[in-house]
Amino acid sequence: MRFLVLIFALFLSACGKAPLVQTKSYVFGTLVDISIDGETEEKAHEVTSQILQDFQRLHHQYHAWQSDSELSKLNQSFVAGKTPIEISPELSQMLTQAQTLSKQSQGLFNPSIGGLISTWGFQRDEFTPVEINDAAIQKLVLANPQMSDIVIKGNAVFSTNPAVKLDLGGYAKGYALDLALTQLQKQGVKNALINIGGNIIALGQHGDKPWRVGIQHPRQPKPMATIDLLSGWAIGTSGDYQRYFEQGGNRYCHIIDPRNGYPAQGTQAVTVLLPPSPQAGVLSDVTSKPIFLSLPDQRSNAATTMGVEHYLVIDGNGNVTLSASMNQRVRWLAKPAKITVQ
Amino acid sequence: MKGALRCGKPLLGDVLVIVVGLIFVAFLFKTLWHNEQAAKLQIRLGDKIYATYSLDQNRNIDIQGPIGITRIVIADGKARFESSPCLNQYCVHQGWLSHKGQAAICLPNQVSLELLGGEKPFDSLNY
Amino acid sequence: MPNSTKNSRIEIHTSPDDHRIAKLAALAIGLHLIEAVLPSPMPGVKPGIANIITLFVLYRFDFATAAWVSLLRVFASSLLLANFLSPTFALSLAGALLSLATLFFAQYLPRHYFSAITLSVLAAFAHMVGQLLVVRFWLIPHAGIAYLIPVFMTAALVFGVVNGLLTNYLLRISPAKFDEDKG
Repeated sequence: MRFLVLIFALFLSACGKAPLVQTKSYVFGTLVDISIDGETEEKAHEVTSQILQDFQRLHHQYHAWQSDSELSKLNQSFVAGKTPIEISPELSQMLTQAQTLSKQSQGLFNPSIGGLISTWGFQRDEFTPVEINDAAIQKLVLANPQMSDIVIKGNAVFSTNPAVKLDLGGYAKGYALDLALTQLQKQGVKNALINIGGNIIALGQHGDKPWRVGIQHPRQPKPMATIDLLSGWAIGTSGDYQRYFEQGGNRYCHIIDPRNGYPAQGTQAVTVLLPPSPQAGVLSDVTSKPIFLSLPDQRSNAATTMGVEHYLVIDGNGNVTLSASMNQRVRWLAKPAKITVQ
Repeated sequence: MKGALRCGKPLLGDVLVIVVGLIFVAFLFKTLWHNEQAAKLQIRLGDKIYATYSLDQNRNIDIQGPIGITRIVIADGKARFESSPCLNQYCVHQGWLSHKGQAAICLPNQVSLELLGGEKPFDSLNY
Repeated sequence: MPNSTKNSRIEIHTSPDDHRIAKLAALAIGLHLIEAVLPSPMPGVKPGIANIITLFVLYRFDFATAAWVSLLRVFASSLLLANFLSPTFALSLAGALLSLATLFFAQYLPRHYFSAITLSVLAAFAHMVGQLLVVRFWLIPHAGIAYLIPVFMTAALVFGVVNGLLTNYLLRISPAKFDEDKG
């Protein structure tokens, strides 16, 4: 009889496999969701907590509206004049990367318009609608802050334009993804999925299948499609539904057009999918914006300019336009009425 | 026949049947028991779905059944029958349910609980 | 006509077997009632010790008698417990019917290799399947009980083995007397 018990125990133990360890926490003012597969629970928790510590550090160091952050101090020095101040090598590197991408986007990706973002009330934890101050907006647009106004010499930085006010909101989450991926690989983790406020990067796969991510429907509280995110790939979405307020029948979203200082209209969401590269995370965060801000007939060009092959656009009427390569990757859960493949 | 009876012990065939029975039961456990944490609670009253709640938010739910009010509690991703007007209190004794597929039933008051998975066809959401 | 008066009198001839069966059925009902009032850790999980009698009768007499004893127990117990035609009765009847159907085939297993343990285990599984079918298709028509099936089946296996051992034991300690009665 004893051997029967043994056989039984064997059967039960065969059922147990390394579980998926999923952690949800709140960093960068948004939800951070880390899944690690195929590691012991202990290891997964250890790595997760390291990554979260890194994220916390990034959040505090590069916070756009907490006056004691390194970024805020830099912004203060920009206002003060053209005296270079010493910044961390990391921030120097980040700014250089942001400058390159801003130039590539012909100024549509512009993290130096913190002044405008602040005027629109989006630099707040608890977001509340603001009164639109057209004069202030006009003034800030005319001041024309650009990333190219920033002069970086090693770790010494100054701005030739006092209107430059950095807000890395559309960059830092992507940067954090790249950093986390490096960290995971360093720790020997083979399979993980990291989601920072909707921007996701994948490593390895989930069990014997690729990681699968859902794409949020811009107007309904449910996903509209799924995409298999292969190892090293990243996905990002710019949507008018994340942070916005409505006034006089208009929707004012947090994605502000640096050319006129007003929130972009006529686009509900742009999703981009990036192949593995050391800056896949950053690109997933950055490249959706120029496409979002472009006129419908310019979107394809904007994507090409940013080197994005896989993109999906939902216009103001809910019509979907996507690139042929993206079309092959998307699996619809709620197929939209009109789909155009570019 | 006599041979079987003289000793009360299991015969070769009996052992075979027991082993097959054990394998069968182990198979049932493997296929029907999920480790997966549940995400939603589905409550049925009679043959209808009364409501479906997310397990993320703690709350108490009072349901008027044929014999009285059944109280169901959702707390920290788990759910249970807190109180029931039934006599045997089997449902209350079932305690907390936390895994996908777990269920508790109160036949007298026709209330049943079933935990559902996230039903998510994906690992994480891009938004 | 006149002599028909004598013929019309109904005479019930009872054999010692009939008495035996009646006693065993009474015993089965008794066991069933005891189980019904004993507290159970979980609704639906019961040792089913009354099945020992069914098995005993199957070995000592034949399948038809065993079926009689089993069904008599289900109906009589439900009348005594005042749950005739209730869900509890339906569960009991479904279990008994499926269990008997299984025993009908299982009785032909070579007895040199398979003792009452095998029959008991198979009957217990069948009993549980019968109950679960009633629950699934009548009482709770959704998949909610799936989670409990492994637990029920484990209980069936354990009690099946135990009841089988007890049946073997019973058959061993009281063979002669019954064989004599039968003879």
